[in-house]
Amino acid sequence: MGEQKVQDTIIQFDHISMQFPGVLANDDVSLDIRKGEVFALVGENGAGKSTLMNILYGIHTPTSGEIYIKGRKLTRHEPGESIAAGIGMVHQHFMLVPSFTVAQNIVLSREPRKMGFFYDLKKAEKETENLVAEYGLKVDPKATVGEISVGLQQRVEILKTLYRGAEILILDEPTAVLTPQETEELFTVIRRIVKEKDMTVIIITHKLYEVMAISDRVGVMRQGKLIGVEETKNVNERILASMMVGRDVLLDQLEKTGTPGQVLIDVQDVHADDNRGLPAVNGVSLQVRAGEILGIAAIEGNGQSELLEVITGMRPLRSGEIHIAGQNASGKTPGEIRAMGLAHIPEDRIATGVSSQSTVKENLIIGKERRPEFAKKGIHLRQSSIARYASDLFAKYDLRGAGIETGAGSLSGGNMQKVVVAREFSFDTPILVIAQPTRGVDIGAMEFIHKQIVAKRNEGCAILLVSADLDEVLRLSDRVITLYEGKVTCQFEAGSIDKMEIGYYMTGNRKEDA
Amino acid sequence: MKGILKKIADNRNYLVSLALSILAAFLIGALLMLVTGYNPAAGYSAMLKGAFGSSRVFGNTLAKMLTLCLTGLATAVGAKAGLFNVGGEGQLYLGGMAATVVGIWLCGLSPVIVVPLAFAAAIIAGGFYAWVPAVLKVKLNVSEVITTIMLNSVAIYFCTWLCNGPLKSADKGISGATDAVPDNFVFGQVIARSNLSTAIFYSAVIAFLCWYIMEKTSIGLEMKVTGENPRFAFFSGLKKDKIMIWAMVASGAICGLVGMFEVYGYQHRFLPTISNDFFFDGMLVAMIMNYSPLGIILMSFFFAVIDIGAGAMELSTGISHELSDIIFAIIIFLMAAEGGISRAFSAWQLQKKARKKITMDGEKEVQKG
Repeated sequence: MGEQKVQDTIIQFDHISMQFPGVLANDDVSLDIRKGEVFALVGENGAGKSTLMNILYGIHTPTSGEIYIKGRKLTRHEPGESIAAGIGMVHQHFMLVPSFTVAQNIVLSREPRKMGFFYDLKKAEKETENLVAEYGLKVDPKATVGEISVGLQQRVEILKTLYRGAEILILDEPTAVLTPQETEELFTVIRRIVKEKDMTVIIITHKLYEVMAISDRVGVMRQGKLIGVEETKNVNERILASMMVGRDVLLDQLEKTGTPGQVLIDVQDVHADDNRGLPAVNGVSLQVRAGEILGIAAIEGNGQSELLEVITGMRPLRSGEIHIAGQNASGKTPGEIRAMGLAHIPEDRIATGVSSQSTVKENLIIGKERRPEFAKKGIHLRQSSIARYASDLFAKYDLRGAGIETGAGSLSGGNMQKVVVAREFSFDTPILVIAQPTRGVDIGAMEFIHKQIVAKRNEGCAILLVSADLDEVLRLSDRVITLYEGKVTCQFEAGSIDKMEIGYYMTGNRKEDA
Repeated sequence: MKGILKKIADNRNYLVSLALSILAAFLIGALLMLVTGYNPAAGYSAMLKGAFGSSRVFGNTLAKMLTLCLTGLATAVGAKAGLFNVGGEGQLYLGGMAATVVGIWLCGLSPVIVVPLAFAAAIIAGGFYAWVPAVLKVKLNVSEVITTIMLNSVAIYFCTWLCNGPLKSADKGISGATDAVPDNFVFGQVIARSNLSTAIFYSAVIAFLCWYIMEKTSIGLEMKVTGENPRFAFFSGLKKDKIMIWAMVASGAICGLVGMFEVYGYQHRFLPTISNDFFFDGMLVAMIMNYSPLGIILMSFFFAVIDIGAGAMELSTGISHELSDIIFAIIIFLMAAEGGISRAFSAWQLQKKARKKITMDGEKEVQKG
């Protein structure tokens, strides 16, 4: 990037504060974004980076402060105003119509018309082709969006913003759903549009190596404040991590001890359907032994969620056999399977893992509420011993910023996850099934949860782990399998192959001996 | 006591809005009286006198309170477990009818045998009539709101038919009603010449049990969790289906008992007009109080005062007793908007605070500079 370009400020945040009920999400943030740069915004969950971007995009009106885009002050604070000013945002969850074609999605809300009235599909496709050619973002305009890969869908999202004339692109956690290969391709695209089309890109992420790989400058947020803005070449991952957390973070090797024992989870040729009744798990067999962690690496939507739900009894089994600690668990209810010695951290904590309107205390004892230590004769709740128990767990799992009487629904994502982890781990079962243990959780909490998981492994638990974060799978697991379209495509010891190769199996290529 | 104070503190916003809603409702009521040419002070004092003026009217107020309270608690028991029982009226009819039939058929036996049997009949009839929609809901996911509301008509017309057909009384001056339950079976009066019978003691036991189970036991916690997030309940290994079905059966059984209390405590025979939408009034009380058992008990007293007082007010001042309906409607309307109003209020407070902070910071900087 030339010296000339770097001088121009394209977006100016001027003392932005955003007060939500009970939370100061942005605290006096002042920041200049330069034209033609890739700016990475990093921070733990709840640090306020999404809020800041939502203010820029016009979704929130700041409590105080001003935003200037190309020198013009935003006055109305609604998305229409920001889009007109040249802002385009690609959300983490895509806003696409799956049954429409790529071209239809791109022109949506600005459809070309014939005679001022009729939808001109041909022209839409032509314009899409022009756009594809202009920016070099290859994608077939006639393909149906629901049938193309997530990486391509993301391109459609980017093209959509470009079609609306965006000059400044905000990408919210763009790599969360991508394979390593797709991430590489996205970065190539970002570099190209910045260099050739003079775009400005703001990328929100929590993966620090990506910050190092793609950005020119990086801003770190913590607890609503902008802690610092640095030239990327002047920092490294460790410096950024400690800026984010406010202390040194050591995401070091976790110490694993002991040798695997007997098989505790035995899954043989399991088939199951997804919520639409379509086959999602197509003949998976796997075994997990005591004292080992088996990780499942797969791109979202390849049957890993359904597989875990079948094993834990949350989803009906179509065929196959499941044994938990030697007992037949095929087609049993979650209650029966839990009784065999299994605890489960679900992938979606809000929908499955907590009762939002119950207190933290109540959420912590569910499943144990009839035990004599908590209920006289199993009926009359002993409030004081429940409170004591909850307070102990609360301290042990470091649930900051809340009380045991707080409603679970008002907890932050990280704290809510800790409540789920605390409850499930304190069943002290020999088997753990864990899905997305640190999704939406900050680095500090992630470090803590990882240590807890490995401690359970070292105690001799059999652990089955699924995570959308490939780094997490590789960091925690002893063995890894890859799933593609509900089938096992590869099986290997952690550390024996590199990430690119895993990505290769995650996209459907099969290893001969799997 | 500390628990109650804490509860009040926790629900401060809600209680403040409730108090304000009630105040607003009375003010609008007063305005209506003024507009229609009556003196609000006279109207409201007649209302109070009508509810508290003598031991007889106070007895009537308490009797009304029992009905509201039990039907309200019945709604809450179902709602707690996530099922919205709108069929209490039908369950009340069937429960009342079953208890009446037991009383009439076993008229020769001792009350020590018959009265417990009548209780059992009311519980079984009301409970069974709620069990059907509960099972349909749990097994086939049929909306319980629709089935229960439809079953109301079935039960009411079935009982009306019984009163005019197979069970029609031959007593002089009685038409379209069953025979009377023998005098030695019916409940004694607690306050002479009032509607208040010993049903008050049974009701107190039921209300206590409802409160105790919902608020103090592991069963109540399981119900709450199931009602709030059935997927989480299933995930946690709770017997979600069983909890939902039994909560609904309990709800129906309570309604059945209300029907029995109407017959044994007041009417002494089954009339097709045994309930004048009693259940729906109780349901409203429950909804206004967010299904809190303690709240329902207190609020049903308040509603009973207005309801009974309004009747007396009409007699002595000529102000239509429908004023009570208007007051209820305004309270309900404002409480339905409570969520929105209190959100708007706290947003306004936050903004005020933020502005204050900013100006303070600004002043500090000015001072520094």
